[in-house]
Amino acid sequence: MKLNKKQLIGIAIGLIGLIIPFFFHLEGLSDAGHVALGIFFLAAAYWMLEPFPIYATSVLVIFLQVILLSQQGFLFPESTAEYSPNNYTEFIGTLASPIIILFLGGFVLADAAVKYDLDRNLTRILLSPFGKKPGSILLGLMVVTALLSAFMSNTATTAMMMTVILPIMARISKTDPLRIGLALSIPFAANIGGITTPIGTPPNAVVIGALSQQGINIPFGEWMILATPLVVIALLFAWFLLLKMFKPEAASVEIDMSGKFNTSTNAILLYLAFGATVLFWVTESFHGVKSAIIALIPVVFLSLSGVITKEDIRKLPWEVLWLVAGGISLGISMKSTGLAEWIVGSIEWSAFGTIALLVVFASVSVLMSNFLSNTVTATLLIPLAVSLATSGIAGDGFNLIIVSLVIGVSASMAMMLPISTPPNAIAMSTGTIQTSNMAKAGISVGIFGIILVVIYALFYWPFILN
Amino acid sequence: MDRQIYILVVEDELEVMEALVNDLEQFEEFFPIESANSSEEAKQVVKDVYAAGNEIGLVLCDHVMPGQNGVDFLIELQANNAQHEAKKVLVTGQAGLEDTIQAINNAKLDYYIAKPWTKEQLEEVVTTQLTNYIMERKYNPMQYMMILDSVRLSEYMRTHKITDH
Repeated sequence: MKLNKKQLIGIAIGLIGLIIPFFFHLEGLSDAGHVALGIFFLAAAYWMLEPFPIYATSVLVIFLQVILLSQQGFLFPESTAEYSPNNYTEFIGTLASPIIILFLGGFVLADAAVKYDLDRNLTRILLSPFGKKPGSILLGLMVVTALLSAFMSNTATTAMMMTVILPIMARISKTDPLRIGLALSIPFAANIGGITTPIGTPPNAVVIGALSQQGINIPFGEWMILATPLVVIALLFAWFLLLKMFKPEAASVEIDMSGKFNTSTNAILLYLAFGATVLFWVTESFHGVKSAIIALIPVVFLSLSGVITKEDIRKLPWEVLWLVAGGISLGISMKSTGLAEWIVGSIEWSAFGTIALLVVFASVSVLMSNFLSNTVTATLLIPLAVSLATSGIAGDGFNLIIVSLVIGVSASMAMMLPISTPPNAIAMSTGTIQTSNMAKAGISVGIFGIILVVIYALFYWPFILN
Repeated sequence: MDRQIYILVVEDELEVMEALVNDLEQFEEFFPIESANSSEEAKQVVKDVYAAGNEIGLVLCDHVMPGQNGVDFLIELQANNAQHEAKKVLVTGQAGLEDTIQAINNAKLDYYIAKPWTKEQLEEVVTTQLTNYIMERKYNPMQYMMILDSVRLSEYMRTHKITDH
């Protein structure tokens, strides 16, 4: 392991952050709260500056909480008036929390879908009604990308769609702005599409994990009802924007999508498992079986039937699960030590109105996730929002579910820079687009996203939730 | 990018060397080109490149040269642990059947370009071989999408679980 200067500085800042709260007494904050604050500083520094991979920081966070804050840890073996320590199993249990199991189910399905080319074949079928006009092709590509990224990772969807659009781009004149529009349409649609379902992208998991700690369960279908109308509008806006900014010159575009569905027994078992699981997920509100329990169906069925093998299981993106679990775990001690409430209490919130608060949370979330991982952004912001809402400081209009959604959804609206999301980085790597192209379009989508999220938070979400 | 991946051209005739390097121009920005006039010089170049923490991604090698011939050089390169993953291409008009069999069996020859080559053919072979190299070494494909086979690199990303974070 070789560390460069930037990493060393990052490590030092994190350690200083961890130690500082031990030397100061903050009025109104419990001793355990000081420790939790130190861990929060360290986590924030390491997640933002990334001297270590973010998933490594996440397990570090779980570990530090176990040894410093749990009943079995060094510092607080006994309950006191101001802090009754969590059992260590609560911290490590986040690695198997319902939302993690839900994601595991999603990973297994997505993995098997790629293995048997379901994603590509669906793309082929779904694209065919969109014809040959550049405008409608662009819309078709974005709709299909969004739909797939609702169930698969945004990044894997982008990589797959690149194999579709690169041959198209090769046939278009090098000076045609349509090339830029195409290259941007895929990551934008993938980022936006991830909002659609709980398993679409990790920030959604952070929102759902935080809410379930508060005893609030959001069924799969209800999330989709909350999210889908927003996704549709954002997607149409992005399409319209790209079409206006990068006016196509070509009159028609050829897509060569030959191929046929895999009809091996394994592939058919996968299609059945995929269809059944999604159906049960979407209808959770009717049958009441929790989505995390349903998520076990594809895991059990596909591994029993040998559709996914030991090698496939080893290659699942486990680090994403660590990342989300670390964030959920951090939320546990921020709440139980009274830290979250203390942070919230130290700010004069009543100076803001509800609308102003929503705008602030949405804007901060979009801004932060343009530079940081979307999941890290949601993880760092959600505990504040949760305690703000549960403490009642911000007034009755400030609903816990709504503010969590605002943060989670806004985190996926960041697509200004190549570093904003992995899909953006892939699109950039093709060399078709300039950073300025991405920045201009991405800022427009980001600002539109903030406005859209706030409008939904004020009118549509309260209407659905009540 | 902390590690440079080199293209090594081994050719004794100056004009042929110049033509080859000229035709490889578009790769130079991503894959610096080193040239050697003989097998002996090539070995020194290989040694220097690896000593500096870099590596050879592709060797384009003539066969008939003064001193050690190209096939024997490639066999020796293949035997060396650190360097055996480099893609090996013979660019020659004079390798007989026996030599070619040797190269395939013992040097894991990846491609045979018969002189005279065309620029398009050379570019295609180099693109394919370097794309293979990047995927086999599991390097981040995004750095090479612009210059190599972007469709194959995208497909590689699709099947190799790069994810959101």
